[in-house]
Amino acid sequence: MISNRTFLTIGLVVALIIGISAVFFASGDPDGLDSTALVMQGQKDLTQPANPDAEIDESALPGEFEYSAPFPDYTIEGATKMTDTVLLVVGTILALLLVFALGKGLKKFSRTGSS
Amino acid sequence: MHIPDSFIPITQGAVYWVIALVFIVLALRWVKNEMSEEKVPLVAVLAAGVFALQAFNLPVTMGTSGHLVGGALVAIVLGSPFAAIFVLSLVLIVQGVLFGDGGITVMGTNIINMGVIGGFVGYYGYHGLLSVTRNIYASAAGAAWLACLIPALCAAIELAIAGTFPLVPGMISMGIYHALIGLIEAGITAVVLGLIVNSRPDILDHPTGAPS
Repeated sequence: MISNRTFLTIGLVVALIIGISAVFFASGDPDGLDSTALVMQGQKDLTQPANPDAEIDESALPGEFEYSAPFPDYTIEGATKMTDTVLLVVGTILALLLVFALGKGLKKFSRTGSS
Repeated sequence: MHIPDSFIPITQGAVYWVIALVFIVLALRWVKNEMSEEKVPLVAVLAAGVFALQAFNLPVTMGTSGHLVGGALVAIVLGSPFAAIFVLSLVLIVQGVLFGDGGITVMGTNIINMGVIGGFVGYYGYHGLLSVTRNIYASAAGAAWLACLIPALCAAIELAIAGTFPLVPGMISMGIYHALIGLIEAGITAVVLGLIVNSRPDILDHPTGAPS
């Protein structure tokens, strides 16, 4: 059995290694949802890869709202692999900090609150 | 299966958001009242791991790729579907707001599919399978596979309601792809569970049969 601190360190290091590897090795093929959208729009056969330039026709979709994320698809215009790596590391640590802060905050609230 | 904003009309997205918020409140109450404070840092590390693994798309043949979702993993390790809702909601917020992975008006839909449905299917699937197989790894793998497939089928139904996909072809396509992607979910869930059982069996809230 390893200590909390060791578990945290190893866990975070492993998460960062996975995230950084993803920048270099993750598949660029469409995911299951995008593949389904391409199939439904006649741009992909169910069991065959789509053309590399196949794109989902947004005009055929019902959504009316468009939000521009600062780093769409985990990258930014002109980004290098280094930039993408930084973005993924920041995202991973941000996920950790958000859960940590909200978790700690709620536990503090439960100690000082009505209960 | 992160649904973008363009796939679902705003009014329907709002309905899913209201339902998601109910579960988010329940999840926050679970953290406040049920989860022990010593587990906070461990949950945070799990969130980091889920975020990183979700960025890692693996090819699943047929020109398609997929990644771990992690709802089953979090629910099994922390012993509650509400843990999955808590972690997945926050991961989806980071992904949607910063990286455009999953929309904003449809974020409630994604939280319902991957956090709520994934968490409940993962948790109860695991305990159901465990009572039959008595093997934590087989049970975790089976539950994780279901926790990928069933949310994908729910997404197909939501997208049929939205008019984005026709119902039956959409369910067939989403079902086939996520039956394959579910194998990733199953494998990674069993492996991570094994790593945790071997390094920190005390984190699991139920006996594993392993000597501790």
